[in-house]
Order: sequence, then C-alpha cells, then structure tokens
Amino acid sequence: MQKIPLNLAKPGYVLAKPVSRADGMVVAPQGIAITEALLDKLDMMGVDNVVVEGAPVQMDGVVSGTNYDLRLQRLDHLFRKHAADPWMVQVKAMLVDYFKRKVAGKSAG
Amino acid sequence: MADDLKLERKDQILAVKDLPTLPKVLDEVSRLVKDPDSSTEQIAKLIAMDQVLSAKVLKMVNSPIYGFPGRISSIHHALVLLGFNVLRGVIVSTSVFDIMSKNMVGLWEHSVGCALASSAVARQCGVKDVEDVSVAGLLHDLGKVVTAVQLPEIKASVESLVKENDLTYLEAERQIMGFGHDRVNAWLADYWKLPPNIKEGMSRHHKPQLADLYPQVAACVHLGDFMVRVFEYGSGGDDNVPYLEPEALKSLKIKPDVLETILDQLCEQFVEIADLSFV
Repeated sequence: MQKIPLNLAKPGYVLAKPVSRADGMVVAPQGIAITEALLDKLDMMGVDNVVVEGAPVQMDGVVSGTNYDLRLQRLDHLFRKHAADPWMVQVKAMLVDYFKRKVAGKSAG
Repeated sequence: MADDLKLERKDQILAVKDLPTLPKVLDEVSRLVKDPDSSTEQIAKLIAMDQVLSAKVLKMVNSPIYGFPGRISSIHHALVLLGFNVLRGVIVSTSVFDIMSKNMVGLWEHSVGCALASSAVARQCGVKDVEDVSVAGLLHDLGKVVTAVQLPEIKASVESLVKENDLTYLEAERQIMGFGHDRVNAWLADYWKLPPNIKEGMSRHHKPQLADLYPQVAACVHLGDFMVRVFEYGSGGDDNVPYLEPEALKSLKIKPDVLETILDQLCEQFVEIADLSFV
C-alpha cells in the first residue's frame, strides 16, 4: 500500500483505500482500478492524494508504505548497541521473525 | 561550577517566550479554564477567533492519530470530545511544528509517528485517556527542538557527537549538557502547565518505571517511541532503537500476539499520516 500524490497516479493502479470528499462522502470505493475519467474527476474535486495497492511509484523519503524487506535488513544496524544484551537479542529475534513472515506473506499474496 | 552551568542552561532553554509561534491565545484560554464561571463555549469561541490556529487544531484532531470515526468540524466539538488538556497539547504541538520542521529534519514525522504508535499501544492495552497518551507521544521529543532553538550551538555539538562517536541523541545531550531532553520535557510541561499524565509521558519515556504517578502512560510512549524507531518513520536524531524496558511491557501486561497486532496496525497507518503537516 502506498499513498501517492494524485498527479503520479496512473490508470490501472488499484485503490487500497476509498477516496472521500472533505465532508466524508465516499466518491470512489476501495478495490477499484483507477481510470482516466476517475483521475479527471478527482482532480476537479481537489483531491491531493490517493492510497493505492502495492508500491507502484518510487518516492524519496518517508512517504512510501512499509517495505518489509528493508525493515528486515535494517534491524542489525538499529539494534547494534544491544548486541550483547540477551533481552534485546530476544526482542530483535521477535521482530526478525515478524518481518520475515510479512515478506513471505507479501510474496505469497 | 558544573551546577551553575546547568542552571544557566535551564534558564536559557526556558526563555521560551522567545519562541515565535506559541499563540497568545493559549494564556487567555488557560485563564478562562481556571475561572469557574466560564463555559466551554466561551473557551471554544476564543480559540476559534484565531482561524489559522483553529484550522491546524481541527486538522490534527481529525487525523488518524485520534481515530474518531466522524468528522470533528468545530473547536467546540473538539473541546467537548477531547477535553482542554488534550487540546492544549495539540495547540502546543501545532505551534512548534514550524520550528520543529525547520530545525530538525524528520523530527516532526518521528513525533507524529510516536503519537500514533503510543495511542495504538494504549488502545490495545486498555490504558485510559488514549488521547492524552497521543499528545504525550506527540510532544515526547519537544525538549530536543526547544533546546535546538534556544541553544543552537549545543545542538550542533550534540549532532556532531552523535555522528562521530555513534552515540544516541540522549547520550550526546547528557555528555554535553549534563541532562537530556527528557529533563527539558519536564520543565516545559511545568512551564506550559500540562497535566501530570502528559508530563510523565513526556519526561519518563526513556525510563517509564521511574514515573511516579502514571507509569502506564510513560510505558505507552516508551513502546511507541521504540516502534516508530523500528520502522524508522521520521528521525529522532540518531538511528538506534532505544533499550526496551522489560518493566514497561510488564506494566502494560502486553502479550506477544497483541504486540503483533499493533505492529500490523502501524504498517498500515504510517501510510495514512505521511502527509500530516501544517505548512
């Protein structure tokens, strides 16, 4: 799942969250594929962002969704000060296990 | 000599009157809250007079951090739902947003992420006053940014010490100033008269077991901070996970499957808050 600015959305991307107007009314439901007509409509309504399935757009910084592979790779670095502490080693193992299952689930799905 | 220096730095940091963006309306509102004859309508009206502030407050209370299903469309409604203490915390946080995003890259995202994670923990563990926990999470690193603004030369030394010696931001602060942002948080909470549960969430998020009155609030923020650092959402000034205090998990009576539920929620929700800003 990835939140992207509307101008980067392309026909064929699938909405992972419904798009709502400022007053809360849903204008496009979750699960539908974006079309050229929908993009025009959302643009006219002043919608800035949409949340789409997968991670179709390469973006810098914090805006993209959780990348489980990257989380898994970063754990060694993040826990580097606690390598000698049995409790923290255990905490890290739990997170490694968690993100591994997430990676597996994602490739299976 | 060392003590004198510490006291001097405390005074410098607490000269927060210099902080340009803290709205004057906050003092006036605080006075009204103390007055037994005032009504929530009066207080709401006063805040609503500052339209920029109201828009920011409404944007914040309608964000996924607070998770209200409907839309909160007026300050009065927000005041009734959240209470004055939470609203005051929100006002402080939106007011420091500008200086925060200018002075420390990634700290705003880290703070918003921590607010989200702390409140997810509170909700899952049945800790009461979830909104207060959110605000404590949002403000848990306020001491870093206020120090950075008031004592810019100290900020520069802390940052270079973090880089050169691979220290955590907290360790570097303690080496250079003799105290960390957790202590600064306690001063700021007193200064802005934030309630004791938010104060302890802010000042004890590194050592929640030392909280006198609200160890569970501090434990929620502690775990929230830990999690947002696992996800590296934003930046708290260094790339480490803090030591996760086993006592914090014990006081929350948290089970591994609940921990996973919270991680699952965060995987989803960090996407939703990604553009929460007040530019």
